[in-house]
Amino acid sequence: MSTLASEIIRNTGAISAADLARGGRVSGTIGDITAPDPRMVCRGVNVWYGAKQAIRDVSLDIGKNQVVAMIGPSGCGKSTFLRCLNRMNDTIDGCRVGGSIRLDGQEIYDKRVDPVPLRAQVGMVFQKPNPFPKSIYENVAYGPRIHGLTNSKAELDALVETSLKKAGLWNEVKERLDQPGTGLSGGQQQRLCIARTIAVSPEVILMDEPCSALDPIATAIIEELIDELREHYAIAIVTHSMQQAARVSQRTAYFHLGDLVEVGETNQVFTNPRHQLTEDYITGRFG
Amino acid sequence: MDEPQSPSVRNHLAHAHTVRAYDRELARLRGLILDMGERVVEQTQAAVSALLDADLSPAYRVLDREPQIDFLALDADEEVFRVIARRQPTAVDLRIVLALARIAGEAERGADKAARIARSALEFRADDSDSALPAGIAHALRAQDELVCCAFERSIAAVSQFDCDLAVGIFEDEPALISATQSMHQALLAPLDPPLPPAKLGPLFVIAHALEYIGRHAGAIAEQVIYVAEGKDVRFRNREILIETLRHRGG
Repeated sequence: MSTLASEIIRNTGAISAADLARGGRVSGTIGDITAPDPRMVCRGVNVWYGAKQAIRDVSLDIGKNQVVAMIGPSGCGKSTFLRCLNRMNDTIDGCRVGGSIRLDGQEIYDKRVDPVPLRAQVGMVFQKPNPFPKSIYENVAYGPRIHGLTNSKAELDALVETSLKKAGLWNEVKERLDQPGTGLSGGQQQRLCIARTIAVSPEVILMDEPCSALDPIATAIIEELIDELREHYAIAIVTHSMQQAARVSQRTAYFHLGDLVEVGETNQVFTNPRHQLTEDYITGRFG
Repeated sequence: MDEPQSPSVRNHLAHAHTVRAYDRELARLRGLILDMGERVVEQTQAAVSALLDADLSPAYRVLDREPQIDFLALDADEEVFRVIARRQPTAVDLRIVLALARIAGEAERGADKAARIARSALEFRADDSDSALPAGIAHALRAQDELVCCAFERSIAAVSQFDCDLAVGIFEDEPALISATQSMHQALLAPLDPPLPPAKLGPLFVIAHALEYIGRHAGAIAEQVIYVAEGKDVRFRNREILIETLRHRGG
């Protein structure tokens, strides 16, 4: 582990008198913020919406073959942090991002980085399925086509098929690829969006409450899919479901009032968290 | 550098869940377990007194009441299932539910041992119910009974607040329990004039053995208290090292 990483693994998460004076904000993060094979390395990330600071000094690795779940009460900054990872916050007026976020060593907020290919490398699945008003085939083929990832129709067909298979949707749609994506059920639409995301060969997949609009069966299918996708990608998921975080992730990060309070192995966080705030939240004593 | 504000059971018992019914369910479960534990102590004391005081009525009462503790164990099981199914407990709540389920088992087995003592007391006095117990045996039995019941009482008190210090105290007193058991065995093996017939000696050995096991159940309950309070499973650990570690956990 690097010296820098060691420095950043702060074991000081506390509500001290100073913290209380700052309105209950915590200082530092408990737990190991590093991942063995990091795809994204975030250090000292701060986000402001105008004058209001939404994220304070957050450091976290997003590791390959791993799902990191971000949990915390509404307004804690977990979605804001997730959206920093592929510069989705660029689209919000008055939003400023400070600190360092690197994808495979490359600073993603460098002025020379084009956010469009970045968002192919760091794909995102949203809370509500948002297929394009096009055919199932076109929903998946659109990304590879605009990014020039294939050279022929046959290659594109193969990529669409592979992506739909990886998203666990192929058998359900292979006979009706020309039908509108919006005609699928909610769970199928979400898997179509995942297929669309993985069609452009991302390294990291971000998921912002991907199952919150789905029924338990569709949720279970997506959770199973997340576990399969983990073999190929680094995944970060924001969820309000404690059980979902416990089921799908290997690491869990707990956010509170814009601070990353605690990060650790999911088993540890859900059985024996180290910070009182984490325990209060996951046991339902928060607030 | 600030000290981390680590979770403590005391904090959790003081802080209510957002869903109040969850607190009521956990309190109900804990109440069942505490009730079971108190009954085990009462049953043990009554069963031993039946032998020491040559009055068989407490022994019959113990046997009559034993099924009530079994029913409490069933109620506790049902409550555990209900809490897990409805609340999906995590962290300290999960440890509390798991620990209380295990403690219910320990208490139920403790109650079985108390009933065994009552049956052995009846067996001992099957022919001449008012003959006095030899003084040495009575003395050793009284001492063992007091220590065992005290240990069990304290283990239940530790459960009521998940008090780690009380639990550690029970481990520290285990040598005294072992010593009392040995004294009881020595008293049973000591030559007597007139000697006790095997039909009377057998039940007394059963009683000594049952008391020893009730003491062990108290230790097992203390282990569960530490599991809840410290988040560490300390079963099957060397007691001396454990006591040393737990005594210095704050420093």
